[in-house]
Amino acid sequence: MTAAAVTSPPRRHRRLEAARDFAVRFSSRTDGVVGLAILLVFAILAIAPQLFVGPLETAVTATGSSLEAPSAAHLLGTDELGRDILNLTVHGARISMTIGFLATLITIALGAGIGIMSGYLGGKADALLMWLTDVFLVLPNFVLAIALAPILLDIIGAQAELFGIRATLLVIVVVIGVTSWATTARIIRSQVLSLKERMFVDRARVIGTGSGRIMRRHILPNVVNLIVAQSVLTFAYAVFTETSLSFIGLGDPFAPSWGEILAAAQSAGAPGLLAWWYIAAPAVSVVLVVVAFTLVGNALDDLLNPKSAVRR
Amino acid sequence: MTAERGDILKVTDLRTYFPVRSGGFIPRVIGQVKAVDGVSLNIGPGETLGLVGESGSGKTTVARSILLLAHPTSGKIEIDGQDITHLSSAALLPVRRKAQMIFQDPYNALNPRHTVGTIISAPFRIQGVVPPGGVKAAVAEMMERVGLNPEHYNRYPNEFSGGQRQRIGIARAIALRPKLIVCDEPVSALDVSIQAQIVNLLRDLQQEFGISYLFVAHDLAVVRQISHRVAVMYLGKLMEQAPRKTIYTAPLHPYTHSLLSAVPIPDPSLQKRRSRIMLEGDLPSPINPPSGCVFRTRCFQAQERCASEVPPLTEVEPGHLVACHFPVAEPPAAAASTVAAQAD
Repeated sequence: MTAAAVTSPPRRHRRLEAARDFAVRFSSRTDGVVGLAILLVFAILAIAPQLFVGPLETAVTATGSSLEAPSAAHLLGTDELGRDILNLTVHGARISMTIGFLATLITIALGAGIGIMSGYLGGKADALLMWLTDVFLVLPNFVLAIALAPILLDIIGAQAELFGIRATLLVIVVVIGVTSWATTARIIRSQVLSLKERMFVDRARVIGTGSGRIMRRHILPNVVNLIVAQSVLTFAYAVFTETSLSFIGLGDPFAPSWGEILAAAQSAGAPGLLAWWYIAAPAVSVVLVVVAFTLVGNALDDLLNPKSAVRR
Repeated sequence: MTAERGDILKVTDLRTYFPVRSGGFIPRVIGQVKAVDGVSLNIGPGETLGLVGESGSGKTTVARSILLLAHPTSGKIEIDGQDITHLSSAALLPVRRKAQMIFQDPYNALNPRHTVGTIISAPFRIQGVVPPGGVKAAVAEMMERVGLNPEHYNRYPNEFSGGQRQRIGIARAIALRPKLIVCDEPVSALDVSIQAQIVNLLRDLQQEFGISYLFVAHDLAVVRQISHRVAVMYLGKLMEQAPRKTIYTAPLHPYTHSLLSAVPIPDPSLQKRRSRIMLEGDLPSPINPPSGCVFRTRCFQAQERCASEVPPLTEVEPGHLVACHFPVAEPPAAAASTVAAQAD
């Protein structure tokens, strides 16, 4: 037989098959499917809010009067400036989800990178990186975020723009990323410690594969399941943290994220005026997104963990 | 020793210790596991040296040390005349073409996320070698040579049986036409019927390419099938080394005798009647090995002298080395001679 006879189903086809197989198994998890459905709704809202509620209302373009209760014209009522709450909440989805997404990227990149290097390299590098991780792990994240946000903002300048994103938003992204990677690093390191004793790593070393390549080609693909599950959980945490930071006034007052709406409701005295709709819409959105991500994350964690599921 | 000149592998006084650290905030080294403690070996071109010993004797550490997967504490490792003991990983890269390894557990030794084609072609990519006719053709040829279907190029390791996986490992090891392959218990995880196939494959490859093997195993019957010479290890030290026939018919070390008497005979009536040497107790701790001869705590020949004096590995006849004060001169139990008779 010669090379020309090497005809097996191409790799892409096999990957597709594996993906379909995975979709079937995922669809049998009710919690995961419910979570995914909720996320899809919010994702669509975040991608094209104008399609559903028109352009973002401002004090100038407000369509109602001050603090109207929910009615046919304003399904979720209005705020103290007469802006439609539904309009604000839907537009807030975009800001909250974008921040969640970017913060998750930073968290996972830092966490996976540090976890893999620490676990694989071992020795002094491991000791140093894990010391750093422990420091971030024991520091209360939220307090650190509160302390970091104004400092970073001062360094960058509140009016500056980086990559077309306003600095205030970027600061929140960085703060969330910097304060939440430690758990991911720990989890991934523990998996790497067991992976690097597997013989395929020895086998790679025997043919002269360098450490960097082993980490990329042999270790990383085998921790992807952890990374996926961690990303989803981190996303939930990031949305929650963004809301909290905005609520206490460390967000971007010009971007109507859910946290900003809640902060505005607070300063407008919504609780005292019994304007429950002002608080309910953004709060329920945050809770829904966090719960949905957690549901999906747990389902993925169970399905992707080779030890917990019986696989073919 | 037989081949002094042109040795493919020469190991001189190899010691590989692993530090034992105390727990706590600032760990201290509180001891050494002497996994390999002064082992010297040599293998000529096209020759197979069997390395046997029970679990914990340090044979796998010898194998790993030779390819610098475990770092030797002292001693010298020469591959094809070149001292590689202290080479940097960059300087080691060309040496890796000459010396390859086959691993014990075929389930663990293949990356589950890589296809067979990726696994077997990796040596070409890492070493930057382009074989004539291209990598893919070379891989297909290699797969066919070791008895795999080249059409399975894009399959993942979990779709193969243990024996097939070991063939994948062998294909990868011979890809760069090495002069030496260190086989670390290559068949002990496989069924007996598959073991024979793999051993035969290794023998055929040796004839075809003139590869030298260091064949690590704990099964004397398997070692008999493939080795030209056999070395016996116990607790990090060599006990005896001799040509295959001598080891099976005229061993001198009490430990070799006891190993041979543990080989089962496929005849129940013989098996019942044979007198077996039963070793008492377990392997002593390599952190704190016995004084003098390390085997004395379980040896039926042991006397006072064994506790005070380390028996040196001495050549009692050409090619036959023994480390024992009181070697057993009588032929081994009936079982072993039957085994040996089958071998020749």
